[in-house]
Amino acid sequence: MSSSLGNKKNNLEKINSLANRARKKGADIVIFPELCLTGYNMRDRSYELAETIPGPSVKIIEKISKETNTHIIFGMPEVSNKAKATIFNTAVIVSPKGYLGKYRKMYLPTHSVFEEKRYFRPGYQANVFNTEFGKIGLSICYDIYFPEIYRLLRLKGAEILVCISASPTIRKNYFKILSTARALENTAFLAYVNLVGLDKNLQFSGGSRFVSPSGDIIAEAKEHEEELIICEFDVNDIKPLEAFIPVWKDLRPELFHQLIQLSEEF
Amino acid sequence: MKLTPAVLEINLSEVEDRIKRFIKGYVEINGFKGIVIGLSGGVDSSTIAALSCKAIGSKKVTGLILPEEETYNNIDIDDAKIVANQLKIKVEIHDLSECLSSFYKNIPLFDNRDKVTKGNIKARMRMIYLYYYANRFNKLVCGSSDKSETMIGYFTKWGDGGADILPIMDLYKTQVRRLAIHLGIPKKLALKPSSPNLWINQSAEKELDMKYEILDLVLYGLEHMMTVEEVSSNLDITKSLVLKIKKRILSSEHKRRMPLTTKIGFRTIGSDFRI
Repeated sequence: MSSSLGNKKNNLEKINSLANRARKKGADIVIFPELCLTGYNMRDRSYELAETIPGPSVKIIEKISKETNTHIIFGMPEVSNKAKATIFNTAVIVSPKGYLGKYRKMYLPTHSVFEEKRYFRPGYQANVFNTEFGKIGLSICYDIYFPEIYRLLRLKGAEILVCISASPTIRKNYFKILSTARALENTAFLAYVNLVGLDKNLQFSGGSRFVSPSGDIIAEAKEHEEELIICEFDVNDIKPLEAFIPVWKDLRPELFHQLIQLSEEF
Repeated sequence: MKLTPAVLEINLSEVEDRIKRFIKGYVEINGFKGIVIGLSGGVDSSTIAALSCKAIGSKKVTGLILPEEETYNNIDIDDAKIVANQLKIKVEIHDLSECLSSFYKNIPLFDNRDKVTKGNIKARMRMIYLYYYANRFNKLVCGSSDKSETMIGYFTKWGDGGADILPIMDLYKTQVRRLAIHLGIPKKLALKPSSPNLWINQSAEKELDMKYEILDLVLYGLEHMMTVEEVSSNLDITKSLVLKIKKRILSSEHKRRMPLTTKIGFRTIGSDFRI
C-alpha cells in the first residue's frame, strides 16, 4: 500500500477498501505497513498527526475490522496519554471484537535518511497477542536487524511474527535476507509488510512477503507496485519444523548473560 | 577499500528504473503537467531528457536550448537538437544575448572582465527562462546537476543549481555517462568533455585539473569516509590534490542548503523547522 503523506482520511479510506477486498478473497488477518495511517516522512508534522490509542483512527479501524470480520494490523504515530508531545511509532492490532493492543517500535533508526529518534520515544516491551489463528508478535521495520526482539517474541509464545515496515528501495535486499533469517532462526511464520511508493525523496519498495518457519517464501508481492497478496498458514505446521530445526531445544540461556555484559561494554 | 573504476559500477537498468519512478512520482504527486529542461547538448541534460521522456512521455517534456553569443557553439546546439529529435520532445531555441546585453548595460559597476560573475548571470538567466516556462504551464523544472559537480560546488547558486528536482544528483559524472549510453544517447555526445559554457573554452576538467575518471574516485573515497591520506595513496595522487578537492567540498557547502539565519524563534526554517 502507498500512503498519502499527512492525509489520514484518504489513507483510512484505502485501508477500508483493501480490507474489504481482502475479506472477499477470504482473508482473516489483514496487515498494513508501518505508519500507513499518515505516511512515513511526516517530520515536524508527526506532532499534529499523532493520536492517542485508542483514538479516532483506531475507532475507524475497529469499525472496519468488525464490518469485514478481519483482524487488522496497521502502523500509526501515537501520542502518549500522559504527555502531549511524546510520540511513538506504533503498530496496532484490532480484532472484530475491538482493539486488541499495540506495540511501540523499540529500535528507532536515526542514520542515513532516517531521523526517527528525533521524533519518537522508543518502546520498551515486546508484545504478543492471542488470536484464534495463533499468537501474533509485532515488530516494526528496523527492529528486524535485532534478533533479540524476535527471540523475545518467540519466547513469549509468538507463532506468527509480524514486521510492518517503511523500508526504502536501497535497503530492500537487507529485508529480504533478514525476514527469511528471523523466520528460520525462530521457527515461526513471519509476515513482512512494506510501504510502496514515493515519499519526497524516499522510494519505498513494497515487496511484502510471508515466510514459513523453515524460511520458505509462501507469498511475495511485487516491488514498486501496490498489491494485495493472500496466503494461508497453519500454526500447527510449526511443530514438525521445531523438531527438524530444534533451535528452542538447543537454546543456551547462559549466553544471554554474556550478551548483556559485552554489549554494555561497547 | 580499493578505489578502482569498479567501485563506480552501477546496475544501469535498476538505476534507470529508480530515477524514472522518482520523476514520474514527483510529477504526479505534485500535480504538475510536465517537465521543462534546459538542453545544453551535454551529457547531463541529455540524460535527464531521456529519463524524463521515459518516465512521463515525451509529450509532457519541453526542452529549451538557450545559447548566447559569447559561448555560441554550433556543435552543442546540434547535439541538443539531435537529442530532442531522438526523444521526440518539443524544443524551443531562445537566444539570450539581447536579454543579457541589456542586463550588463543596466547593472551599475558591471565589469566585463570578471568572467565568473558574468558567467553566473548567464546561468541565472537560463534559470529564469526555465522557470518562466514552468510557471506558465504548470510544469516543473528538472535540473541536470550530477553528484560530481554538486559535491565540489561546480554550479551556479540559483543558476543551474536552481530546479525543482535533480534526478541525477546522486550519480557521479562517469556514472551519468554510462547511463546516458545505456539510455541510447549517442556515445559521442555522452563522452564529450563537460562544460557549463559560461565563458569561451570553459572546461570543467581543466579548471579542476583532473579528469572526471579520477575526480569521481576521489569523491567516492571521501563520500565513503576515507581520509585524505587514504585516498591519495589509493589513487597514487598527491595529498595536496585530494585536499584541494576536499576544500572545495567544504567551501561549497553554502550552495547545497537554504540560506542561513540566526536562531531566534522556537522553530527556525532551515534548521529545526522540518516540514
